[in-house]
Amino acid sequence: MAEKEFQPKIIGFFCNWCTYAGADLAGVSRLQYPPNIRVIRVMCSGTVSPHHVLRAFQKGADGVLVGGCHIGDCHYIKGNFMTIKRMTFLQDLLKFTGFEAGRLHLEWISAAEGPKFAQVVREFTEKIKKLGPSRLKIAPKAA
Amino acid sequence: MDRLREKVRNLLKDGKVAGYLGYIVKEGHPLPHLFTPERPEEVDQAIVAPGDARYPLDKVLQELAKGYPDATFAIQVRGCDERGLNELYKWGQLDPEKVVLVGVACPQDQADYCECAGPWPSVIDSGDKCAPVLKSLRVERIDALAGEAAFQEWMAAFSKCIKCYGCRNVCPMCFCKECALEHPDLMSTGKIPPDSIFQLVRAIHMAGRCIDCGLCEENCPADIPLRVLYKKGNALVKDLFDYDTGSLSTGLSPWKFVGDESTMETKPM
Repeated sequence: MAEKEFQPKIIGFFCNWCTYAGADLAGVSRLQYPPNIRVIRVMCSGTVSPHHVLRAFQKGADGVLVGGCHIGDCHYIKGNFMTIKRMTFLQDLLKFTGFEAGRLHLEWISAAEGPKFAQVVREFTEKIKKLGPSRLKIAPKAA
Repeated sequence: MDRLREKVRNLLKDGKVAGYLGYIVKEGHPLPHLFTPERPEEVDQAIVAPGDARYPLDKVLQELAKGYPDATFAIQVRGCDERGLNELYKWGQLDPEKVVLVGVACPQDQADYCECAGPWPSVIDSGDKCAPVLKSLRVERIDALAGEAAFQEWMAAFSKCIKCYGCRNVCPMCFCKECALEHPDLMSTGKIPPDSIFQLVRAIHMAGRCIDCGLCEENCPADIPLRVLYKKGNALVKDLFDYDTGSLSTGLSPWKFVGDESTMETKPM
């Protein structure tokens, strides 16, 4: 039997006001995007703690996509200022520990950007497929 | 040493402080000790702790301050201890009005061992300034590895962890009442070695907070190079947010406030 193509597990943390609504728009517009993404809706991307991202990776996620409102459009005015601080720092720290920093991605997607949402999910899924399964998943068996 | 003892004696005599938190030799061991005005003769045995027998005095001071909220205490500080106190003031854990510094400058070999960029406090009562070490070779080595090699090295280190929580318990900056490392929703329980994100979660908490005293690494029974991880975290905080951990002049930690504007941009995919 031919080997099955690797299907990554991707966790999406999307803010209720922009990216989640953007995903809704992509849905009602019948835009196609890969089904590898599992969406977790949060009230603001600023509530996504690095703990949640790390926990997702530990539990076997191959990629984590965090989506929030564009800077200046945050429903809570400045929530996403914190998001970008945290995620940029976490990406750099992950890189230092040898974990592909690209597995964590932050993207600003507004409620009107349905096509952008579908595009980002397509690109991100493609990228994670190329990277292959997460090292964190393989590591415990090797050790 | 005499200079330091003289200062402590005067502080206790003048009644400015309720006690001096320093070190004493007991049965051959240098140990932390609270010198009080009631027993002034003990000050003759006050010492500067040798580099390999340091204790988290900042942590002891937090407990003292909780027990005696109105009292002022003097405390022996190295460069790192003072940075720790500054950071604790900012996080609202100690009152700067109620702390008197008795400063100790580290000798050169200690600074080299710690790769410390600030091996002396603002007040020096013992020792002399030495050359600071501005670059960490240990961090640079891991930086140069990158990718798979760095990952293997870290995983090998993390898998030695016996989850004793020693790094957290000795840390003068760990003051939370609830700890993410013990939260069953954030960390698997009943597993040795713990989740490989265990040290990363701590590294995140230490970013912009770790004052690089190195007690965690000295305390670690599994010899995990925790200090390298935290040094890098602080270097990143410096690069990204221009925040000097433990300095009183750079304002609050970037994690403590949201900010009036954001000029950062998301990384390309």
